[in-house]
Amino acid sequence: MSFDPIPYDLLDAFKHFLSVFGSTMLIAIIVCLIVGVLTRGLKGVGDVFRGILDFFVQITHVSCRRIWSLTILTVRESLRQKILFVFIIFAVLFMFAGWFLSGAADRPDLQVQSYIDFVLKAISWLVIPIMLLLACWSLPEDIRLRTIHTVVTKPVYRIEIVMGRMLGFILLGSAILLVMGSVGYIWITRQVPESAQYKLVSKVPVYGDITFTDREGAPTTVGINVGDVWMYRSYIEGATKARAVYKFEGIDESDAINDKLVLQSSFEAFRTHKGNMDKGGILYQFIFVNEEKGLRVPSRPLINKEYSDNVLEINRKIKDDNAEGEAGVELDIFNDLIDKNGNLTVEVQCLEAGQLLGMARPDLYIRTPDHAFLSGYSKAVFGIWLPMVIVIMLGVTISCFVKGPVAILTTLTIVLVGFMSKEYMTEILSGQMQAAGAIEAWYRLITHMNSQTELPAGPVKVMIEFVDIGIINFLWLCQQIIPNFGIFSNMREYVIKGFDVSWDAALLPGIITTAAYILPCLLVSFYSLKLRELEAK
Amino acid sequence: MNKLTSKHRKLAYVIAIIVLLIPVIWLGMPSTGEEGSGGELAQLRVQHELGESTLGDVDPSSASMNFVLLGLRGIATNLLWMDANDYQKKKEWAKLRSTVDSIILLQPHYMKVWDFQGWNLAYNVSAEWDAVEDRYFWVKEGIKFLNEGVTRNERYPELDWKVGNLHGQKVGRSDEWRQFRKFYKVDPDTERYEDGPDPEINPERLDNYQVAKEKFLIANEKELKHKQHLQMRMLFRASPWHAQFDYANAMQREGKFGKQRTDAWAQGFKDWTTIFGREEFITPKGPIVLEWTEDDIKNLAARDDNITEEDVRHWINRYQDTSNYRFWRTRALSESETETIDAHKAIYDGEQLFRSGKFDEAKVQLEKGMELYALVLNKYPSLLSEDLAIEEGLQAVILWRYIHDLKGMQVPASFPLKPLWNKEQGRVPELENDLRRRYGIQ
Repeated sequence: MSFDPIPYDLLDAFKHFLSVFGSTMLIAIIVCLIVGVLTRGLKGVGDVFRGILDFFVQITHVSCRRIWSLTILTVRESLRQKILFVFIIFAVLFMFAGWFLSGAADRPDLQVQSYIDFVLKAISWLVIPIMLLLACWSLPEDIRLRTIHTVVTKPVYRIEIVMGRMLGFILLGSAILLVMGSVGYIWITRQVPESAQYKLVSKVPVYGDITFTDREGAPTTVGINVGDVWMYRSYIEGATKARAVYKFEGIDESDAINDKLVLQSSFEAFRTHKGNMDKGGILYQFIFVNEEKGLRVPSRPLINKEYSDNVLEINRKIKDDNAEGEAGVELDIFNDLIDKNGNLTVEVQCLEAGQLLGMARPDLYIRTPDHAFLSGYSKAVFGIWLPMVIVIMLGVTISCFVKGPVAILTTLTIVLVGFMSKEYMTEILSGQMQAAGAIEAWYRLITHMNSQTELPAGPVKVMIEFVDIGIINFLWLCQQIIPNFGIFSNMREYVIKGFDVSWDAALLPGIITTAAYILPCLLVSFYSLKLRELEAK
Repeated sequence: MNKLTSKHRKLAYVIAIIVLLIPVIWLGMPSTGEEGSGGELAQLRVQHELGESTLGDVDPSSASMNFVLLGLRGIATNLLWMDANDYQKKKEWAKLRSTVDSIILLQPHYMKVWDFQGWNLAYNVSAEWDAVEDRYFWVKEGIKFLNEGVTRNERYPELDWKVGNLHGQKVGRSDEWRQFRKFYKVDPDTERYEDGPDPEINPERLDNYQVAKEKFLIANEKELKHKQHLQMRMLFRASPWHAQFDYANAMQREGKFGKQRTDAWAQGFKDWTTIFGREEFITPKGPIVLEWTEDDIKNLAARDDNITEEDVRHWINRYQDTSNYRFWRTRALSESETETIDAHKAIYDGEQLFRSGKFDEAKVQLEKGMELYALVLNKYPSLLSEDLAIEEGLQAVILWRYIHDLKGMQVPASFPLKPLWNKEQGRVPELENDLRRRYGIQ
């Protein structure tokens, strides 16, 4: 597994939202007040506040009936535009999918991942662009054809028009998603061979925290770096005191499967010599530690099978052959090894001299009773629904103040940046990526100056730094405003790897991110539509 | 202003369309597949072998994919290559495999893609896995991938050569060669392949080097029509016969000294001297053959007034040196003799006895092997020009000396392979290290 499900910090997210949203609103109000005073004098101040009040008046007086009518109207208009033709592309894709996915046919376990990946990608790549086009095109087209007058001349608020559009598209998108999701589910279950059907589950893992000890037994935060380009895993040296120490919290009897505690691991081996090649992997063992009771109970030696699930089922009653003076004493795993607060400490030890075992936090987990594959799959489809909602909200909002093609391009840019470049932006802004500013890079390029040489002091340097700071700040602003679509792609990864989608680390951030765009989108679209002349030019 | 009525204008357009269609049809009408059918361009395409179908099998999904992408094939391919690199870095093997397949859909006739990715799967991805069974699976994936490349690209003898090289070198010379060669005949997925080989890899249940020889022969056949750009032509064409030698040698490495092994060497000698040795290769001074007679020299020199017999002899000599021709001829010849077989067997048995801790018996066998091996080297001194032959003798001496150390015995001042030992001292430290690793000697 290549992702690390870190629980979402809801409070921190809320504080961040308040600071970004609050400061943006404050700046907007100040700008409006300045413009108001400059154009209308003191009366302008009153007008600005009346305008602000208007939003609250309309939002508190919205009628569900009127919104519903507008929603239905939006759905009907979309259907008239032959939106359901998307199902033809969908059907064609699925008919010929076998051609493209026959690669890993010899390993059904790897094939399952390809199938799930394909289905979820196909659905999101079809639904999101279609809804983007519809959302961006609809309002400007109504304004161009003047059909918008048939609505605005009725007693409806502008905010209701916006909400009707958004809800209509969401309703339509949801229906399409539901159909595609169901077909995709049936396709996967039929396509996966009988021998690999067991892979179609949603594992529910409990992750712990990881620390290490070095070869002398001293605690450390990381293990050995073996020079792998991907520095995801840290390694422990075999036949030394080096250990990876996993600490799990909140474990109780409900986490057992058939009265057994199930540990699942996927460690990576690094050999410094060939060793015994016939065994199938490097030997390692777990040591269960209860410091309160002074217990250290080792498991039997296990063989590490790389890139596959190594499962250790531990009976509730185990024998501790190492107990001093009490050979073979029977222990209850839940009463003796897990402390009274539900904490379990598991040490991992590599048993072969000269070999190393690599691990990251998610590489060892306690597997609790599985959920059905449908559970994880439907959450992954929900993970497509959420960005679709954001795209619709952004599309409708942007189309409130620009024409159709411009709205499509703007929304598309935001979506592409959100999907592809968010991580890149974060790396630059956090200083993780050692990169010069855009102007500095350009200056170095044309003067053939390497990145290690200091820029010559003088007005040119000051100017370059000044402009670069401006660009970086703009990048920061973009990073705050553009939604992080990567959060939603992560949900797909869970299901591909056979896990249920985590609430803490995937669903909650997804829902919160989507929710965070509702109010800003409503605000922007309301004022755009209010101030826009609804007449085609 | 245009004075034509709308009706007349439309009529003029229709006539213009019909007139323009005539050259379009004459030039661009597609071929029906029969000879001489289709427009001028289609016929030229067939004549100059420029059509896609002349390159190899056309995959409909690949053709449709390229059509759908219009001019964006390059961008899509670049993105896929970046994805593939990322998946490899993050060890997402299933995704890597499917991404590589997608790249191939977009670049089905670009030889380097097949070459690189086939090698990548068989060597790099395979080495990332810990279990030998898994490593073998990815070697097979690399071979299967390249097989696919061969069917789609019939004009690249290089690809057939690469397939042969994977069957031969990768399976037979990796660190895990013992297990790989075993899996080659009985796949580790015994349930699926019913205790037999993977039929896509080894349908006739042959030795890996025999299959490699077949593939190299196909490459040689193609090379007669389409030039290869991999290596010197003579070395390229020597590959099937080297595979035959490797086949015989592999049996020896596995301790099989029976008739099958002797026959393999005899066959190798025959192939080497009567097929490869009699093949003509073009040198700057005209054609030559490696297995020559005085008549050959005369005939070859007589073909061109500017070439003397001395020139022919000079270039034969050079080409023989380059291909190590004389060594392999002598080796193949000597390996069919009882003395050589006994020497190899005694050294092999000595090593096995050493491995199982029977040092006294090992010493006896090694001494016997060294004596016989010294006789072979005296009889065929040209064997001393090849690393493998030298190392076999040196390894026997190193183990024999080590047994003396273990037993606290003085190494005799004179021993059978002493001249070789003295001459090749530079190789000893590395071989000692190698043996330490192999036998766990401290």
